[in-house]
Amino acid sequence: MTALLEVIGLSGGYEPVQIFKDVNLTVGAGECVGFFGPNGHGKTTLMKTLSGIIDPWAGRIVFEEQDLAAPGERKARRSRNLNYDILVRRRMDPKKVARAGLIHVAQGSTLFPDMTVAEILSIAPGVALAAGRKPEPDAVFSLFPRLKERLQSKSRFLSGGERQMLSMACGLLAVPKLMILDEPTLGLSPKLRQELADAVHAIRRAGTPIILIDQDIEFLRGLVDHLNVFDHGSISRRLTNAQIPDHETLMAELFGRRQG
Amino acid sequence: MELSAFIAVLTGGLVLGVLYSLMAFGLALVWTTLGIFNFAHGAFIVLGAYIAWQIGNPDAFGLGFLVSAVVTVIAMFVIGVIFQFLLVKPFERKPNIVLLTVITTLAGATVLINLINVMWGPRSKQIVLPASGDLSLGLFRITANEGLMVLIVTLTLATLGWFLLKTPLGRSMRAVAQNREAAQLMGLNVPLLYAATFGLAAALAGLAGVFIGSIRFMTPNMGDDPLQKALVVVILGGVARFTSPIYAAFLVGIIEAFSTYAVGLYWTPAVLFVLMIAVLVVKPEGLFGRRERSV
Ligand SMILES: Nc1ncnc2c1ncn2[C@@H]1O[C@H](COP(=O)(O)OP(=O)(O)O)[C@@H](O)[C@H]1O
Ligand SMILES: [Mg+2]
Repeated sequence: MTALLEVIGLSGGYEPVQIFKDVNLTVGAGECVGFFGPNGHGKTTLMKTLSGIIDPWAGRIVFEEQDLAAPGERKARRSRNLNYDILVRRRMDPKKVARAGLIHVAQGSTLFPDMTVAEILSIAPGVALAAGRKPEPDAVFSLFPRLKERLQSKSRFLSGGERQMLSMACGLLAVPKLMILDEPTLGLSPKLRQELADAVHAIRRAGTPIILIDQDIEFLRGLVDHLNVFDHGSISRRLTNAQIPDHETLMAELFGRRQG
Repeated sequence: MELSAFIAVLTGGLVLGVLYSLMAFGLALVWTTLGIFNFAHGAFIVLGAYIAWQIGNPDAFGLGFLVSAVVTVIAMFVIGVIFQFLLVKPFERKPNIVLLTVITTLAGATVLINLINVMWGPRSKQIVLPASGDLSLGLFRITANEGLMVLIVTLTLATLGWFLLKTPLGRSMRAVAQNREAAQLMGLNVPLLYAATFGLAAALAGLAGVFIGSIRFMTPNMGDDPLQKALVVVILGGVARFTSPIYAAFLVGIIEAFSTYAVGLYWTPAVLFVLMIAVLVVKPEGLFGRRERSV
């Protein structure tokens, strides 16, 4: 059986600052893979690269045996004096990634502040329909009943939790074959955290493969098959679910490593 | 000021407002969506006027007003798309895109104006509108041609509003304008939507040109004044919602009409610019704008 997603030697960042380096990652069919690591070490940047928002500097991203990144290294700085990009090919196309079914639910996205929930939900399934996948709005609404009450609100008037629900709902309407959830419970009250954590569990039970980034080890333990510890721009450890230590131990190890 | 004079000035202001909303709408659309200021907007207006003259006028192809307006709108859409592809898109990933595109759109405008000079010459022309006579409603009195313009512009903007609010493509265009990254993650075709937005803005500029070319005598350099007016309107109104430039356009039209009556044509631009500077000082996001989104 071949892997769903295979990332080989991926490096990238925000020109000219490199954020992550030589990342290798495999997500098998039906798997849920977790990421855990300190803030600001490049998890979000890595995910943005997977979804094509920023171009990788080197490496390959293979999704369902389709190469998502155009081959080759980042353009050498030869073109530094030519400020005209018309012939420079992008290495990644986010539309192609989303069409392929790799759907990224961004961290703390504000979505479209001046559009109503109904309007946003109306355009979200477009990519799935274009790719011949069938969205199921009813399932999404039963997962997030609260959105049904806020259909006519502009998204800038939503609370943080509601906005996160809307983000995830949009992701689900795109009918993901692999869903990236970047800190879906960040900055929410315990009650809302639980609500969203339940939603993630429900998505998982429905069989959707997930890459889940979170700061809550217990939440991750309850969901993931593998956990990648990500710090200083690379995966420093790969743990199976059984190997996941408790929060204190893991933090101590990370903290220790940094000082050593 | 007598009531009849007041009404006449107000009517003039409202008619100007209609024209200005058409001129400013496209500029604001590009500004919010692509995050750049298109200095070629004035040149688009001029080019639209000349294309319409060429197609419609009895001295040229003579196909009549309606055909000329339709051809102009389509041609300007295509020209806008090409313009964006050559002069805006290549700088999309540069951090200093705003400054770069100030230069490239100014350069593009210069090229367009000179092309117009070469093709049609500097002598002034005028577009002949089909209607004649006056329309009146109580004390409000406008020429039939002004009425035609009000009708066409209102229909155009209403259609555009419907398009942006109700159709998937229009909603996608608003989505890209409000959050490019989220739109990309949704799998929207951002390059296509950028091109369509720029084309649409150019098409609206072209339509504005058709009317300006009928109100005034056309010369290749007539684009500066509309560009200035559109700039004032966009800054005054802000760009948070696509309706803000429309309100601001009417405000500017009415202020211009009354200021022309009170202090004369000569001082009116000064009045408008003082107003614009005052707004920039006090409420930089525009009278109808919100603080979050300012480019
Ligand atoms: N748009 C950006 N431009 C430049 N640097 C950025 C940008 N976004 C994030 N960074 C930097 O990249 C690093 C990694 O950030 P991020 O990927 O968000 O980490 P994480 O998700 O692990 O918290 C941080 O040092 C951050 O300051
Ligand atoms: Mg992050």
